Amino acid sequence: MVSLNPNGFYNLRFRFRKVGNLQFVSHLDLVRTFSKIAVRTKLPLWFTEGFNPKPKLVFSPPLSIGVESETEFLDVRLTQYVDPETALAAMNQNVTEEMRFFDAYYAETKLSDIAFISYEIRIQTAGVSEELAKKCQETLLADTVLAVKKGKDGEDKTVDIRPGIHSLTVEEKDGALLLYATLSSDSSSFLNPDLLIRVLKEKCNVFAKDDPTEEFLSVKRIAMLDKDMKDFR
Amino acid sequence: MALSERYASILKTVSKPGRYIGGEFNAVMKNKDDVRCRFAFCFPDTYEIGMSNLGVRILYDVLNRHPAIWCERVYAPWVDMMEKMKTYGIPLTAMESGDPVGDFDLIGFSLQYELCYSTALAMIKMANVPLLSRDRGEECPIIIGGGPCAYNPEPIADFFDLFNIGEGEEVLLEICELYMKMKREGRYSREGFLREAARSIEGVYVPAFYDVSYHEDGTIAAFTPKYDDIPTKIKKRIISDLDTVPYPEKPVMPYIETVHDRIVLEVYRGCIRGCRFCQAGMVYRPIREKSPEVLCKTAKCLYENTGYDEISLISLSISDYSRLPELCDNLLSWTDDAKVSLSLPSLRIDSFSEELMKKTTGVRTGGITFAPEAGTQRLRDVINKNVTEEDLMRAVGIAFRGGKGNVKLYFMDGLPTETMEDIAGIADLAKKVVGEYYRLPKPQRPYGIGVTISVSCFVPKPFTPFQWEKQDSFETLLEKQAHLRSCIDDKHIRYTYHDAKVSAIEAVFARGDRKLGKALALAAEEGIVFDAWDEFFSYDTYMDIFARTGIDAAFYTTRGFGLDEILPWDMIDCGVTKAYLKNERKKAYEEKTTPSCAEHCNGCGANALGGKNRWCH
Repeated sequence: MVSLNPNGFYNLRFRFRKVGNLQFVSHLDLVRTFSKIAVRTKLPLWFTEGFNPKPKLVFSPPLSIGVESETEFLDVRLTQYVDPETALAAMNQNVTEEMRFFDAYYAETKLSDIAFISYEIRIQTAGVSEELAKKCQETLLADTVLAVKKGKDGEDKTVDIRPGIHSLTVEEKDGALLLYATLSSDSSSFLNPDLLIRVLKEKCNVFAKDDPTEEFLSVKRIAMLDKDMKDFR
Repeated sequence: MALSERYASILKTVSKPGRYIGGEFNAVMKNKDDVRCRFAFCFPDTYEIGMSNLGVRILYDVLNRHPAIWCERVYAPWVDMMEKMKTYGIPLTAMESGDPVGDFDLIGFSLQYELCYSTALAMIKMANVPLLSRDRGEECPIIIGGGPCAYNPEPIADFFDLFNIGEGEEVLLEICELYMKMKREGRYSREGFLREAARSIEGVYVPAFYDVSYHEDGTIAAFTPKYDDIPTKIKKRIISDLDTVPYPEKPVMPYIETVHDRIVLEVYRGCIRGCRFCQAGMVYRPIREKSPEVLCKTAKCLYENTGYDEISLISLSISDYSRLPELCDNLLSWTDDAKVSLSLPSLRIDSFSEELMKKTTGVRTGGITFAPEAGTQRLRDVINKNVTEEDLMRAVGIAFRGGKGNVKLYFMDGLPTETMEDIAGIADLAKKVVGEYYRLPKPQRPYGIGVTISVSCFVPKPFTPFQWEKQDSFETLLEKQAHLRSCIDDKHIRYTYHDAKVSAIEAVFARGDRKLGKALALAAEEGIVFDAWDEFFSYDTYMDIFARTGIDAAFYTTRGFGLDEILPWDMIDCGVTKAYLKNERKKAYEEKTTPSCAEHCNGCGANALGGKNRWCH
């Protein structure tokens, strides 16, 4: 049963991907883009009040520039019930291949219930070996993992990121390092995978050449999980 | 490492990488096997600016409607990206296919302002195509220039194989058709193609086919075609019926924010006014309107295909559209419900009304802009602006009562016959605008007031009645700017002005001849780029380049051109006759105005170009 939100709207959730070159579109630009996509679908959108009405859209935690994702969530408020499959088709007609929509359903949970995000990280750098993979894994799973982070005030501060790393493996595959990491992602303890890379740069001599034509980093979200480590829905 | 990975890897190191990705919704992709003509449409500035250009959108759409032509977009990479591409040997590529621009059949450049020349040349170099037309071999793409700067193509004549003079919808297609035909028939050669284009397609100018000789004083002695079968005068092309010409209904949707990120509805071309400094007002004649029926249909279609929440009505002076109320009412019948707002830029002071203001987004923004252009009635008559102080006071009164406390006023300094009195008049006018605000009863002005005077420097432009006029010297302009500042004694008035140095370089390229080719080639060699950006523009660098290539900038700026002189752009027929421009110039010095085309036909000559329009007879 789909219930109307007490505030007078239906909350339709979409799961979509943002891959390939779309990793270079910032979250802010993505939000602006989605306002237009939503209008193009002709779905009965619920608009915000005020001078500058916009469709109300809520996203899962923002992606940094340079990070792809196989699983992102978008909540769209509707004024009427629409068959989810119809809405899904409408969305897919209005986006490009790099942004496919996979599921649409009326959500019972909140996007703030997302507790963990799993990443696949591929590092192509000089001197990749099984030993390096082992060293990287040990470094990131040590008792404390100190990383320099830019604070809100712009000042660098050193933080222990280890509590944010729920699980992690590093292996050597096809001449590259392959990391799988599940990181804490609720709003109070969100861990950006970029900090892991920074630690590896500093401690494990990764990306020492600083040559973008020989070294390559790809970061991709592959799953979002709730606090019980179940796939978020 | 795969090329895509390499490219992605480099994108991670530059600012705003979203500029370079392509793959936007509505971007046109084609199967290369079905395509016989690949056209790279270059805009010599950043993606954000180029994506906002209506001309590019229109021509991209027109060319791609042809099944055998694939037109792709190309923008200038920002300096950080340019540097990386140089370092890692990556050539300039097109947005859609990612293929190198140098491999295309035809390359078109949209030339919107003179200061984009250096960037255009940098792009030709990045495409690995020889900079000079005469150095290009059979395998090189044909490089085409178009847009407003093509009305004086001479300073860049060395770098372009062909210019498209006038509106491009039909000409570009004809050029592509000819190219495909000659290829298909196996008789294509660069020279043969250019010759045939110059001979058979109206609006095509191939600079290499014309000789220019000079007098000892540097003015032009003769302009001669090398062949008998090419025109001595190149007639500008226009689209006759704007209601039937294709208009892009599925514009490419940028992922990143661009300068004009909204629906752009072109309402008419041309202008009924005739401000004597304004090139657009002359070269886009005759005036041709679209019907409200067609415009409303297009607007609805664009809304459905884009999802934009703003529609901007574009023309040189929107309030001169003869059926504006009908158009607005028709649009407002659905836009309000769809939460789409209307914006009407380029409103004239004398036609601004409360009704018009209420219909537009302006209501929300709290600010409004008007362009009196000159500070005294005398000078406004000289430039034929045809607005009065009363018009302005009435307009700002409406704006103030409508809740707009910020008024921006555009002026120009350095106009012909201008005196310090006219300069002081600018400050005086602004002060009167402030006074108008304080005349309102207090409850009607709960918000503050700010008047911004924005002053640009007059640049004499080809095909205007002021094309012969001298530009004020740099020193005079500085004096005028200082005088204006000293005349402003009101804390509500803010004064901003354009850099006179930029305007001087603009004037050199606007009124220049082929001798400037050497200077631009040297500028390209020195890696000069993005002159339209304050942070890169350097007056001293240009003066140095001019000195090294034997160019006297003053010859093009502070020198008045003789009325009988052969002007560098005289081989172009833009419709408006030289006799008309001369007469307008004479009237300017007599401080006499000319009525708008809506009042009666002034005989400018543009009606000879034809076109479905309501004003010309």
